[in-house]
Amino acid sequence: MPQLRAEVLVIGGGATGAGVAWDAALRGFDVVLVERGDLAEGTSGRFHGLLHSGGRYVVKDPVAADECVVENAILRHVISDCIEDTGGLFVTTPDDDPAYGDRFLEGCRKAKLPAEEIDVAEALRREPRLNPGIRRAFTVPDASIDAWKTVWSFARGAAAHGARILNYHRVTDLHVDDGAVTGVRVRNEHTGEDLDIEAGFVLNASGAWAAQILHMAGIEDVGVIPGKGIMIAMNHRLVDTVINRCTMPADGDILVPIRTVSVIGTTDIRSADPDEIPVTQDEVDQMLDDGERLVPGFRHARALRVWAGVRPLFQDAKAGAVKDTRDVSRTHAVVDHRQRDGVDGLLTMSGGKLTTLRLMAQDLVDAMCSQLGDDRPCRTREERPPGNEDGEPYRLGSRLRKREETLQEEQLICECELIGRRRLEETMRRRGTESLDDIRRSLRLGMGPCQGGFCIYRATGILHSVDRLDAAEADDSLRDFLQERWKGVWPILYGDQLRQARLDDWIFQGLLDVEHLPA
Amino acid sequence: MSRHDAVVVGTGLAGLTAAVRLAESGARVLVLAKGVGATHLSGGTIDVLGYASPLASGGLAPAPGGRSLADRVERPADALAELQPPHPYALVGADAVAAAVAWFKERIADGSLAPYAYAGGIEENMLLPSALGVPRPTAVVPQTMAAGDLRDGAPICVVGLRPLKDFHGALLADNLARAGTEARAVELDLVPERRADPNSLGFARAFDDEAFRAEVTAQVAARLGAEERVAFPAVLGIARPNEVWSELQQRLGRPVFEVPTLPPSVPGMRVFAVLREALRRAGGRVILNSVVGGAEREGGRVTAVRARAGLREERHEADWFVLATGGFASGGLELESSWTAREPALGLPVTGVPGPGEERFRPGYLDDHPIGRAGVAVDRELRPVDAAGERVAENVLVAGATLAGAEPWREKSGDGISLATGHRAAELVLAASMNVSSSRRMSGPAG
Repeated sequence: MPQLRAEVLVIGGGATGAGVAWDAALRGFDVVLVERGDLAEGTSGRFHGLLHSGGRYVVKDPVAADECVVENAILRHVISDCIEDTGGLFVTTPDDDPAYGDRFLEGCRKAKLPAEEIDVAEALRREPRLNPGIRRAFTVPDASIDAWKTVWSFARGAAAHGARILNYHRVTDLHVDDGAVTGVRVRNEHTGEDLDIEAGFVLNASGAWAAQILHMAGIEDVGVIPGKGIMIAMNHRLVDTVINRCTMPADGDILVPIRTVSVIGTTDIRSADPDEIPVTQDEVDQMLDDGERLVPGFRHARALRVWAGVRPLFQDAKAGAVKDTRDVSRTHAVVDHRQRDGVDGLLTMSGGKLTTLRLMAQDLVDAMCSQLGDDRPCRTREERPPGNEDGEPYRLGSRLRKREETLQEEQLICECELIGRRRLEETMRRRGTESLDDIRRSLRLGMGPCQGGFCIYRATGILHSVDRLDAAEADDSLRDFLQERWKGVWPILYGDQLRQARLDDWIFQGLLDVEHLPA
Repeated sequence: MSRHDAVVVGTGLAGLTAAVRLAESGARVLVLAKGVGATHLSGGTIDVLGYASPLASGGLAPAPGGRSLADRVERPADALAELQPPHPYALVGADAVAAAVAWFKERIADGSLAPYAYAGGIEENMLLPSALGVPRPTAVVPQTMAAGDLRDGAPICVVGLRPLKDFHGALLADNLARAGTEARAVELDLVPERRADPNSLGFARAFDDEAFRAEVTAQVAARLGAEERVAFPAVLGIARPNEVWSELQQRLGRPVFEVPTLPPSVPGMRVFAVLREALRRAGGRVILNSVVGGAEREGGRVTAVRARAGLREERHEADWFVLATGGFASGGLELESSWTAREPALGLPVTGVPGPGEERFRPGYLDDHPIGRAGVAVDRELRPVDAAGERVAENVLVAGATLAGAEPWREKSGDGISLATGHRAAELVLAASMNVSSSRRMSGPAG
């Protein structure tokens, strides 16, 4: 059986794992990262895109708020290309208690979060679609962050410092020898081959899946509580500023403008299995009603896609049963398995959120260094991963500007997301992938209003001709993509998006007869 | 305000068919449409019935134990006789389908693009490759596509055009090979008008040009094997398609056929052009960008429709109204976020939409979705009916994808249903008009 060796093995290719790989690689460790699917395919790629200012937590969870304030500023500096400085507003809707605004301001002051109350008229001037019945409005430095770009930036940065990033490698066993974790066995999900990786230290950054990993080392009762949240992407930027309801955290209280869409979120429902998080029609209805409260007419706007993510909430079993997952702190903690379970060479990151991913990575690697008696310092506050070197923040329209430079020179494969043929072919080669869904995460292919209606046949043809992927593989990839897409659209098919979906059926079923491709 | 014998709403295949058939019989016809219709999306073949799934009698769920969508239809005439109401074919009957097909073939053959014509009929299905290389059952096809019939085992050379992103010849050929037909692809890098990103229509205009065709044949001829027939994307001319196709066959010395691309569909545009010209010659009027959004009623009849054209609101009176606005894909049916469906032009009742709390779609893309056959229910004379089966308007007829009871794309029946019900609607109007002694009685069939 093939073998690999690493000083540090990171389990999980989400934001935390990529951040950990980046941190450890910058400190000079020899790192291998394993991820069962594609990078950012789990929780990180399934969130609303909000880079928290901390305002959401100042009243209820002050520690989380303090962390957000600091990390928000650092991320803007180091991964500027992944972040759009939209700014944020907290607004008191007619259904909210105006007195909460005072507690909110007081909390912001304590957290040193620069918040300021503005006239309702000024808030409505900035965001004309906002509910005209709002009673108070406060500005905060919220922003939107592209999770896929973030994870790939850190992963590419880690790779540039020698880390090996193995996506589609699922951990099937943890090797424990004499009370110490010595490595893992992984299975290559494409080839089915097993691979043993010997590791000096294993960092478990698998988030909501942490308990499944620990179970392989015989460690039980780690209180990872998968908390499901659903989000809906609307076809337009209904707002240009992040809008939060100024109230205790509740369902459907955040609307985030990100790239060309806006995302409303979210719910918080305890889920037994992090891989079983279906979206129901009732949840969609509730989210639309919540949207209506922030932006009247929300139900008439076009919904593009719905998905659920699963938070890695953590509460140790000793603390007793948790009733409402919203009451679990959003801060993170390093679980020290030497102390807790008598197992050496293994640490687990629990809890946390995307905004604090850098701090989480630092804390985890610091804890490892402390056990190893190593004093190499963390460098992630200053170092910029690839793609962010110039410190220029992302601006809406930058893709269009680049595209216009080559408008007359090449085919536009995805009109919605402005993806040219060269860029598509380069990405297919660079990623060496056979999956259209991987390409979607890298380029946002098929993510626009038509949801792949036009570009996916084209991309399948190009995938087949570029890599000489045989027709059977190309067909499988097409079918998989259509099913993945369907999963994200069927609960929100009404209005214009139903019309679009039926047009897509016309193309794929009526014209192409995809349902009768040979199996 | 205007006053006509008949107002047809919609300018897809169903609406144009009804309008031409009425106008050529002497009726004064007005067509109101939001824009050009579904012809520009459809592949230009008249798919009558490719896969059958008879419904349990009177309901919208598939009959247990019967044929399923997995069963390919070889003889549409037989299979559609087995269908039960409310499938639109069962309402109009197999004879009406045959009559409509015969009428359509004649109109195209005698039309403005003659000798461009259609081949086939409802007795048996051909199997033509889709742009993905899937053998697709279809009944009546442009002659320019007929040589692609995969029931004939001759090997195929697919000619791809690299700048045309809506047709991938290599994938088509490899999938044909997977399905049992020997096939391979060659790719030409010819760019019409030096545009980086021409679509099907851009190429069709290029093929109308003799110099471009000469370039194509020069590049292709040397690369063909002895027994091969030659597939092209369906872009072989928009102004003179028959000439383009004939010339390519002659120069290449072997059968040539077109395969539909992604939209915009050049063969669909040809159908639109021929029928619209036939309507013009018969004296019919078309107003595009006209959105019908309400009906005036008197007793059990609609007396006029209101339409918005730009900022103007217009009233159009008529004796008869044919609604052919399409289904959810065309905006002929709408589903609100509160999950109630409506037919926005005339406000007709919509059937087959699951109620609040019921499942509308299933999690598998190719599952049988409960909302899949929703639409406006009609009786055998295509008059819209309510949940109790009572007519809601005596002088309104519904045709095409607006109708409940079919799953056009899965069945490969969309064009056939549109043609058959559009034609049938016109025949019913003509027959009813002959039976009333009115000063506005329509004249008989055109001489």
